[in-house]
Amino acid sequence: MAKKEEKIEYVKNGKRLDGRKVDESRSLKIEAGILNRADGSAYLEWGQNKVIAAVYGPREALPKHIQNPYKALVNYQYRMATFSVPDRKNPRPARREIEISKVCGEALEKVIFVEKFPNTTIDIFVEILDSNAGTRVAGLTAASIALADAGIPMRDLVAAIGVGKAGGEIILDLNKEEEDAPDAVDIPLAIMPRTEEIVLLQMDGLLTKEEWKKALKLGLKGCRQVYEIQRATLRKQYEAAEKEAKVGEKGEREKGEKVK
Amino acid sequence: MDNVTWDLKADKAVKLIKEGKRVDDRALDQYRAIEIKKNISENAEGSALVKLGGTEVVVGVKMVLGEPYPDMPNEGTISVGAELLPLASPVFEFGPPRPESIELARVVDRAVRESKALDFKDLCIEEGEKVWIVFIDLYALNDDGNLFDACSIATLSSLLETRIPKLEDGEIIKDEYSGKLKLSRKPLLCTFSKIAGKIVVDPVLIEEKAHDARFSLATTEDNYMCAFQKGGSGSLTESEIDQCIDTAFKCAKQIRKQL
Amino acid sequence: MSEKKIVVPGELITGERKRLGSHVFVENGKVYSDSLGLVYTDKDVASVVPLHGKYIPRRSDLVIGVIVSETYSGYIVDINSIYRSYVSKEYIRENLSRGAIISAKVRDVNEINEAELEDVRVFYGGELLSTSPVKIPRIIGKNGSMLNELKSGTACSIVVGRNGWIWAKGGNVSLLVEAIELIEREAHLSNLTNKVGEFLRKKVSK
Repeated sequence: MAKKEEKIEYVKNGKRLDGRKVDESRSLKIEAGILNRADGSAYLEWGQNKVIAAVYGPREALPKHIQNPYKALVNYQYRMATFSVPDRKNPRPARREIEISKVCGEALEKVIFVEKFPNTTIDIFVEILDSNAGTRVAGLTAASIALADAGIPMRDLVAAIGVGKAGGEIILDLNKEEEDAPDAVDIPLAIMPRTEEIVLLQMDGLLTKEEWKKALKLGLKGCRQVYEIQRATLRKQYEAAEKEAKVGEKGEREKGEKVK
Repeated sequence: MDNVTWDLKADKAVKLIKEGKRVDDRALDQYRAIEIKKNISENAEGSALVKLGGTEVVVGVKMVLGEPYPDMPNEGTISVGAELLPLASPVFEFGPPRPESIELARVVDRAVRESKALDFKDLCIEEGEKVWIVFIDLYALNDDGNLFDACSIATLSSLLETRIPKLEDGEIIKDEYSGKLKLSRKPLLCTFSKIAGKIVVDPVLIEEKAHDARFSLATTEDNYMCAFQKGGSGSLTESEIDQCIDTAFKCAKQIRKQL
Repeated sequence: MSEKKIVVPGELITGERKRLGSHVFVENGKVYSDSLGLVYTDKDVASVVPLHGKYIPRRSDLVIGVIVSETYSGYIVDINSIYRSYVSKEYIRENLSRGAIISAKVRDVNEINEAELEDVRVFYGGELLSTSPVKIPRIIGKNGSMLNELKSGTACSIVVGRNGWIWAKGGNVSLLVEAIELIEREAHLSNLTNKVGEFLRKKVSK
């Protein structure tokens, strides 16, 4: 199997294995406000990745000894559904999920006005329903929308994307096949779009400094595109509230006329 | 809890760093003194105790026979675990591993694994049947900051000493060895704290308490980077990361001379 | 009021110096929104009305609350906020039990948004209705105009709390619920008071 992999050309005539260009992300769709009980929520599809994010809070942090008198706790829980990977995943949180939860929560803490809500917790639950590489950045992108949907005051959104290397080429938004390349490098990246400060950054694989500079440039470009989709999603949600209002009004009128 | 006094100490660290100074009088890009004691455990296949200033860790390597993953039938693997022993700090407790120790183990793991220093195919004994699993266990004895780098130095020191147990009829023979583990690279982590907008290398515990963000990267002697990990609730800019990269290569080069 | 502008968290509102209204913050001399919402700016003030949000108590707000428990000197009251609030027994003559509905004025708010209440009025019977706190200004309307429409159109006794809770008794409470839902949906539109009036008259006439 390993021998076969070495022969794969990950980029051929400027096209990748799935037909994308090197700087092209998989298609991304986000919808806000999809869960009734949550204070905020979002559903996201990014290529094959499917993610639900829900936000509860700020609410009293319990047990009391975990409360911080200066700020709200950001409790981020990233989980993969048992059926979201080719082999059934043990439902118990794996070490990978715990680590991802930690770094993603820290990334969001930077944008949330946590100091406004001492002694509380803001719980963010991210469930991966289907996966094909890049789920942590998909989860973070969805969580950021869910937080805005919950009306939690924030300095900015967080836009995230994966960037990296396969077959010697620096590429955007790696899929699983590319992530399995023998020389694969995977760099999950998240920024505050307004200032382009980096709030999430991880990397594995062998990379030179020159390659890193190129990858970051591509990653930042990708994050800006993700941000535009996030912004459009939220604006659409606001406008949908108005549209629904107009439909509702029409409905009432019809009902009224029928009665007459 | 002693949170309040830590806050005061952290405030002082911030104040000093604003003036370009540190609590222990180091330069912002200066590493603490390192002491390495190898082979501290005879039962381990490889081991080391590392003192990094006031931080002290031991790492032990055990080679264990196991089955390969079905999708990698001709490869062994490594497994890194971290124990933040309650004896190392008043805030460490027994019990299931906390996110902090899981992160520590996984970042040290990535530095070794992703550097490809170990060829996992060398760890195959019988394809599809039997492989070596290299268990690397990290024990913190004294936490005075930057457990990441201390564990990384101790891990590399231990791996460089690790002997492969001798096998006869597929069984390990006690106290006999067939040779040393082959390492093709020497990856080392280098960790930074961002405090009051400044980057400092090898933070002490007070600096860790004061920091906005943490950034670790692993470098190799042949000019590769093989792992990044940003932590903490702060942010980093591109130029701050560049600064970390350059300092990390410099510091790791110095540390390698001591191995 | 200028044209409607929808903003997302972190979006620039203005580079000019303005007094800060709600849900905005300043960074490097510029004013940004901290929420998804509509911008309201005039000569002096920059402000955002969020689409969603939890109630943060402010001094002298009128709120509707529910008694949660009794302490030696007062009561713990749920006011639909992040934190529970407290009212001293000196403001209440009778004994209250868990679940009693009251209205009260916010006497003081401490630095972590815990409210202390005063001017308590205890309700007997009636129902507790709930809406988003950010919609309450529309439910009251200019100089109480919307609230008057609601009262006359449903014949309910109504007390509206800033915290998104509404107490109503008598009259047609289910019609009131429908009207509130209408206001929630159309909170962004102009001429809402007349529409709601029309809606109520139509419903009543049938």
